[in-house]
Amino acid sequence: MIGAPTPEYDPSAPSHNSATTLPVGSSATVRGYVRELGRRHRVAFAVLLGVNTVAVVASMVGPFLLGDLVQTLADGRRDVHLTRTVSLFLAALAVQACFVRLVRLRGAVLGERMLADLREDFLVRSVALPPGVLERAGTGDLLSRITTDIDRLSEAMREAVPQLAIAVVWALLLLGALAVTAPPLALAVLVALPLLLVGCRWYFRRAPHAYRAEVASYAGVASALAETVDAGRTIEAHGLGERREELSRGRLKNWVDWSRYTLWLRSVLFPVINMTHVLILTSVLMIGGGFALHGWLAVGALTTGAMYAQMLVDPIGMMLRWYDELQTAQASLARLVGVREVALDEGDGALAPDGREMAADRVRFGYLPDTDVLHDVSLNVPPGTRLALVGPSGAGKSTLGRLLAGLYAPRTGEVTLGGAALARMPAERVREHVALVNQEHHVFVGTLRDNLRLARPAAADDELWDALAAVDAQEWARGLDGGLDTEVGSGGATLTPAQAQQLALARLVLADPHTLVLDEATSLLDPRAARHLERSLSRVLDGRTVVAIAHRLHTAHDADVIAVVEEGRISELGSHHQLVEAEGAYAALWRSWHG
Amino acid sequence: MPSLNSLPFSDPGRPDTRSGPRLLIWLELGQWRGQVASAAWGTLHMASVACFPAVVGVAVQAVVDRSGTRLVLAGAVLLVLGVLTALGDTMLHRTAVTNWISAATRVQQLLAAKAVELGAVLTRRVAAGEVVAVSTGDVEKIGWFVEALARFTSALLATVGVAVALLVYEPELGVVVAASVPVLALSVLPLLPAATRRADLQREKGGRATELAADTVAGLRVLRGIGGEELFLDRYRRVSQEVRRAAVHSARMWATIAAVQVALPGLLLVGVAWYGARLALDGQISVGQLVTVYGSVSFLLFPLQNFVEIAMAWSFSRPSAKRAARVLALRRTDVDGSEADRVAMETAADGNGAAHTDGAGPHKAPLTGELYDPATGLRAPSGLLTAVVCGDPDAAGRLADRLGGHSPVAAEGEPSALLGGTALDTVPLATARSAVLVHDKDPVLLSGTLADLFDVPSSGRVSAPAALAAAQCSDVLDALVRSLAGEEAGSGDAMRARIIERGRSLSGGQRQRLALARSLVADPEVLVLDEPTSAVDAHTEARIARGLKEIRAGRSTVVFTSSPLVLDRADRVVFVHDGMTVAAGDHHELLRTTPLYRAVVTREADERPEEEGGAGGEAPGADRGDTSATAGTAPGTRDDMSMEEPA
Repeated sequence: MIGAPTPEYDPSAPSHNSATTLPVGSSATVRGYVRELGRRHRVAFAVLLGVNTVAVVASMVGPFLLGDLVQTLADGRRDVHLTRTVSLFLAALAVQACFVRLVRLRGAVLGERMLADLREDFLVRSVALPPGVLERAGTGDLLSRITTDIDRLSEAMREAVPQLAIAVVWALLLLGALAVTAPPLALAVLVALPLLLVGCRWYFRRAPHAYRAEVASYAGVASALAETVDAGRTIEAHGLGERREELSRGRLKNWVDWSRYTLWLRSVLFPVINMTHVLILTSVLMIGGGFALHGWLAVGALTTGAMYAQMLVDPIGMMLRWYDELQTAQASLARLVGVREVALDEGDGALAPDGREMAADRVRFGYLPDTDVLHDVSLNVPPGTRLALVGPSGAGKSTLGRLLAGLYAPRTGEVTLGGAALARMPAERVREHVALVNQEHHVFVGTLRDNLRLARPAAADDELWDALAAVDAQEWARGLDGGLDTEVGSGGATLTPAQAQQLALARLVLADPHTLVLDEATSLLDPRAARHLERSLSRVLDGRTVVAIAHRLHTAHDADVIAVVEEGRISELGSHHQLVEAEGAYAALWRSWHG
Repeated sequence: MPSLNSLPFSDPGRPDTRSGPRLLIWLELGQWRGQVASAAWGTLHMASVACFPAVVGVAVQAVVDRSGTRLVLAGAVLLVLGVLTALGDTMLHRTAVTNWISAATRVQQLLAAKAVELGAVLTRRVAAGEVVAVSTGDVEKIGWFVEALARFTSALLATVGVAVALLVYEPELGVVVAASVPVLALSVLPLLPAATRRADLQREKGGRATELAADTVAGLRVLRGIGGEELFLDRYRRVSQEVRRAAVHSARMWATIAAVQVALPGLLLVGVAWYGARLALDGQISVGQLVTVYGSVSFLLFPLQNFVEIAMAWSFSRPSAKRAARVLALRRTDVDGSEADRVAMETAADGNGAAHTDGAGPHKAPLTGELYDPATGLRAPSGLLTAVVCGDPDAAGRLADRLGGHSPVAAEGEPSALLGGTALDTVPLATARSAVLVHDKDPVLLSGTLADLFDVPSSGRVSAPAALAAAQCSDVLDALVRSLAGEEAGSGDAMRARIIERGRSLSGGQRQRLALARSLVADPEVLVLDEPTSAVDAHTEARIARGLKEIRAGRSTVVFTSSPLVLDRADRVVFVHDGMTVAAGDHHELLRTTPLYRAVVTREADERPEEEGGAGGEAPGADRGDTSATAGTAPGTRDDMSMEEPA
């Protein structure tokens, strides 16, 4: 059975991936970017085509000389300058070898430059995305773009673009040479053209999609295994081993099915290419031979022409080999440049807070157009106040925190800092005043110093140590082999989640904003360490406004003001003692917690 | 011909993992039919391609001789050869790809089975990344070599064939060509190690750049929130340019190889043309023969590529096969494990003594009853909610693992936990796991729909909605319904919502509650929960504690926690300190009677010196393990505690 049906499940179809939350570039954006890339690298491109032309022309010398020789012999002459012919041949060979090397090298130089541009451009654009967009979209989509899509593009940029350029020039030169040495033979090539066109049309209609699916299904195999490895404990505990093996089998089956399908596509393409070559060769020999028999074509020209026709095999093969790579690359490129379509939120640069008073005024907000998460919330936080937000999950505490940190703009109402609306300020201005630390405690790959200095690039080591001391992290940090030079993050020294959280807080100490929003910023520390840290932190942060979203009641207990958030509204507001005396929900909770 | 229809294998077999090369041989032998088929089709392909020059020579000679008949005949033969070439090429490709896929599938299946077999101990034996690296990178290279060997065989046959034919056709030329071919085949080999090294370096740097970019993007919210974008961009630009330079450096080598591959065969070609021309000038060979010889030597470049390829495939696949063999050779049980089994059996003999140990058949008596850990003296009575307070979170984790038996972190000579008097280490792993479910600190949410998440082996007694309600997941369900996309959006059915790997789109508290709900659905005889609500706010935690008690009614539950909101709900609270049970009773009783307990759970301890610095850690000695000091009853112990009160 050679034919194969299209498998039903397509792992590359968008609906099976996590929802794409950032835009995918329109064809206009993609074209614009490709043009820009072409402009930037036009010199490298021209050099590549130039050296390629020399290499191809040099490769044509051999067949030409052989044809000459055949002609001489066929004429029955014996006055052959064999030494001159061989010398010419050798010279051409030397030129060809040198220039083939240059073609490969220049191709790589061009490809690598474009690739470097692509990945750097993408990252530059990504780090300029407005924080609100990031908060909504999450980083998963960006992550898959910078890993998977860049990876897919690297083959295209390294190989497909240079190789296709080379192949086109090569084929054109060969056809031109054929037309010059023996014009009728150029026509003979056309005999095979219809077969090639029909076959390729059939193939390229199906191939790009099929290869995308094949690659995605293979990635599915690896990701199933990666998850099995990662979740080893959970799988063992729940007795899910057999199901995981079954899942891996299913993924493999899907991959095999897609491979079988693409194999079928090639089972059609390969004979088409083979027969194209044979038809070209046969028609050149038969038509050319017929012409020669009638004396309309010299036998030497026929020999040379037949060799040129055979040489067409290489560029045609290259074009077919890389064409679909380019098609696949287009999809990835669209995803990469799609980030450019996100409007950069410039904000109003003239807007600056006057004072430190933070206020929310009749704020309504929702993530979806028709469902509000916060209903008419008003809150005043005088400078230097420690405000704790408590309440059940899903009540809107974190959302309120994000609004207070200026990440989102309220649907109605206003969140202001010193009288200026936070959401209308540029992100760079906001973070001079307000910082948000959440449970996401990312440790960057790099040294401990890099990880701290991002908050204050000019900081000296002393300042970094002071910041670490302020968050109780000095002890373990001193214990690291390389001190501040220790490589941390993925691949380096592993920090515990608690240490990572301390690191995040140390950055905050360095950034030194006058207002902080801490969203469960100490949740990963064990309870006693958390309390200890909060106390030492509060000494450092003395005088600053702190909004703390906390699930541990002692954080609330230590705060100046507690706001109990329930179902998107502030239901209780006051100091710990006031709320306990008020005998509300907070008081009940406090009693059962404190015993 | 072997078919792709039958993949994946019903049984991938037992690999020979003694070394990398042995694994490769095992794979080759396991699919020898496909290899033979591939070599046969490859030979047909090469043979028909090799015949082209001779026919072209005949055609040219026919023109020289002015013979139209022979010209047409040559054309007909060319077409036949063309069909044979197309057939050979296509079938070669099909068999070769089939061989590649077969080998890759087999290794992938073995890896999946191995990962499952190793389960919880995998990451202790080998870096998780290494297993994944075998799956994502090494499998391809292994498959490449396995498959390329057949094509190499056919190329070898074709080369020998052409050399022999030339030897017969034109002995002197034949000798030159036969002598040159090995030189040509070997000429690039000295360049390959350096090229491979450079390619590896490029890959390594490329991997590093990808990692940095991914890392920067993953931490982008932090960067945007606090600054440092330029710092990281600069760093990435530097690495990116390093990658570019490494790639060009590597390309330089490959370009040189390409030049050698043009120059050396070219020299042979020039030599042959020169020699042939002289023979032709002397009238020893015809014009057609000259064209044939030239064409045949050009043809030899074709199989030569396979020679280079097999050398590359070998150099790339050898380290890959070695790594795969090492991973596939790992076993779950090792010497330490069996020692633990022996100790456990002796311990069990003191209990009901009827522990079923051979693991072949089902366990005779159902595993049920009181859970007892001899090392700490911890007892969890059947059917009750027992809360365990343990000052040191790491020690708590180890204790939780031990309670499930076959602990992945077991120390040597550590006694097994007993369930109803049966040492859990002595019953088969699967039996122990289904009797006692240890829900660790960081349970992983597997990707799939929410319905998939709850599709775990279970008693069937607890429905998913009931478990979700008990774990207070209503806000998670709301968030999941909001995430529904496409045709599912209209359904409003959270069970159809997708959870991505590790539940990354959810908050820590949401993940924790979903994982708890999953364990509740499993409804095991004994459920051991290690800090199941550490990332949940106090309001919700109080509700979960209530829900947990209701839904686990009649079953044994052990929960490691220090939250008063949970402790308050427990039937019994056990306080473990320094590897020993030092007090037990209800929450309020312990608050009154045990000052250190009070200190731990009410978080007043940070005001005092770090008295617990060296606590936990090592498993206590056997003699201490036997003194099942179920405390609250041991006044001496309490005195020990009060000594630690600050003066």
